[in-house]
Amino acid sequence: MKLKHSLFTRRQFLNSLLGGWLAALVATFLYPVVKFIFPPTREPDKVVLPFSGFQDMGPNSVQNFSWGSKPGIIKKDDDGTYQAFVAVCTHLDCNVAYLPDRRKFFCACHEGWYDEDGRNIGGPPPSPLRRLTLVIEGGDLIIKREGVE
Amino acid sequence: MIRVRKPKALILLMICLFSAVFSLERSFGQQITPEKQEKSLQAESKPEKIIPSPKNIKERTALYVFIGWMWLAIFVLIFILRLKIKEADRLYRLKFFLKNKK
Amino acid sequence: MNLKEFRIGIQSWFEDRLGLSLITKFLRKKEVPQHRHTIWYYTGSAILLFFGIQVITGFMLVFYYKPTLEQANESIARMITDVPLGWIIRSVHSWSASFMIAIVFIHLFCVWLTKSYRKPRELTWMSGIFLLVLSLAFGFTGYLLPWDDLSLSATKVGTDIPRCIPVGGLWVTKFLRGGEDVTGDTLTRFFGFHVCILPVFIFILLALHIYLIQKQGMSLPLDAERKKEEVKVLPFWPNFVYREMVVWFLLLGILFTVAIFFPPSLDKEADLMAPAPEGVKPEWYFLFLFQTLKIVPARIFSVSGDTVAVLFMLVLGFLFFFLPLIDHKPAGKKGKFITLIAYAVILYAVVMTVWSLW
Repeated sequence: MKLKHSLFTRRQFLNSLLGGWLAALVATFLYPVVKFIFPPTREPDKVVLPFSGFQDMGPNSVQNFSWGSKPGIIKKDDDGTYQAFVAVCTHLDCNVAYLPDRRKFFCACHEGWYDEDGRNIGGPPPSPLRRLTLVIEGGDLIIKREGVE
Repeated sequence: MIRVRKPKALILLMICLFSAVFSLERSFGQQITPEKQEKSLQAESKPEKIIPSPKNIKERTALYVFIGWMWLAIFVLIFILRLKIKEADRLYRLKFFLKNKK
Repeated sequence: MNLKEFRIGIQSWFEDRLGLSLITKFLRKKEVPQHRHTIWYYTGSAILLFFGIQVITGFMLVFYYKPTLEQANESIARMITDVPLGWIIRSVHSWSASFMIAIVFIHLFCVWLTKSYRKPRELTWMSGIFLLVLSLAFGFTGYLLPWDDLSLSATKVGTDIPRCIPVGGLWVTKFLRGGEDVTGDTLTRFFGFHVCILPVFIFILLALHIYLIQKQGMSLPLDAERKKEEVKVLPFWPNFVYREMVVWFLLLGILFTVAIFFPPSLDKEADLMAPAPEGVKPEWYFLFLFQTLKIVPARIFSVSGDTVAVLFMLVLGFLFFFLPLIDHKPAGKKGKFITLIAYAVILYAVVMTVWSLW
């Protein structure tokens, strides 16, 4: 289909070319800037701790550990099994504490409550505490992100 | 504005420039000793000198692609700007002639 | 309403409230003379380009840099190894500083040799001298921030120099160092100078310098002005700006290429108690001064050689600042002599710099 008149003038075409390539060059320079400003998350894939530090834990008790730059919590249940959570409230990132007498996790910032399995049961937290898989191998306690081999 | 009277000379200059740049690849390549190697050898003490460079072949390639794309975009932009300059100068000259006629 | 009408609507909304069309109308009317020295007009905007890059990369570096004795070197080490492409940002910042100061010197000598400081542009020259001093101060304060052996020693030497001045010299040294000696306090103080105090002053002076240039227009070469020739002109917008953009893109390309292929390394953390490392030297733009102080004899007429040299440099600096008032008849004999002095200064600086590297 042949058009009688051009859709745009030569000046518009040249200006668009200039603008487009300028945007491409700016994007080229912006890429390292963005990568620099947003560094990758520092969460580890797994953390290995000596089991000896945890085998003497009483039932319904917790112990903290470092999950990268976040606090982690290991809980020993009444039946002797261990659970691991990321001890960060799912509401607005405050650190949570375990109250053994109430058998609940509590976030003091906005009075968020989680049950002993980390499920959100009261207050503003929208989702349960992030669970981590826990394996006891030899003399080590291996805590991994869920889904990591 | 410098006019390119001899495009062949310019192309030759560009080839010389890029071969000079790519001959630096040798010195650049030699810097691909991982920066943290010194750190692992001396566990407690800090490394003597850190020479930054890309960590692996993937990063190195990405950098060459970055530089190549950057220069391509720059040359295209300069080409477009030369056209814009010619247009702007032509417009200015026309107005000048119009002014004289009046 | 289509896109064009929407754009015009937004523009007129801002125009009614800010009245910025005053600036765009001025820029359209502004003219740039065309003559054999027009090429040097590009140096001003090139300096601005590199300064802009310094500000942007500086903002980024300050996200990760920790200005304390214990963490400075380590934070930079982390930045250039752990943080993605951190080494490129640091390299661009380092190279852009050198490029900027190189072009500042070229700009300075162009203005001196074309005598663009003659009436009514004396204040432009004087504000320019302040800008030169501030640029060098930026370089000097920035050099210490990695807190490695070389930069510590260079700073010790550099901040010791004012001590030679008889009255008040010691106070200048104490002011710069935050005490008698170079310590962690000096590092924090230099960081404060580099990111807070010097930027405030440079922005004020830059605004004054640029305002004066716009108000007085671009200067003409002495010959053209004397003979009252009809000089061809080019409109600043868009003709000259497009030409400047070509220069900017080339400079940006060269900067990034050099920054990627020749990134600066990071030496080990400074040890305040260790002896000075071999090969202590300041950045290249101070080398000619450094070499001058090296060759000055220890004593001159029973006065410390350093004191004589520093006082002499201060006097020269003073004369340099008032150059437009001294060279008030640039076409005459005195004017020609001052031009010869300019060439002599360039030669001296180059020779001393090369000698110091040998």
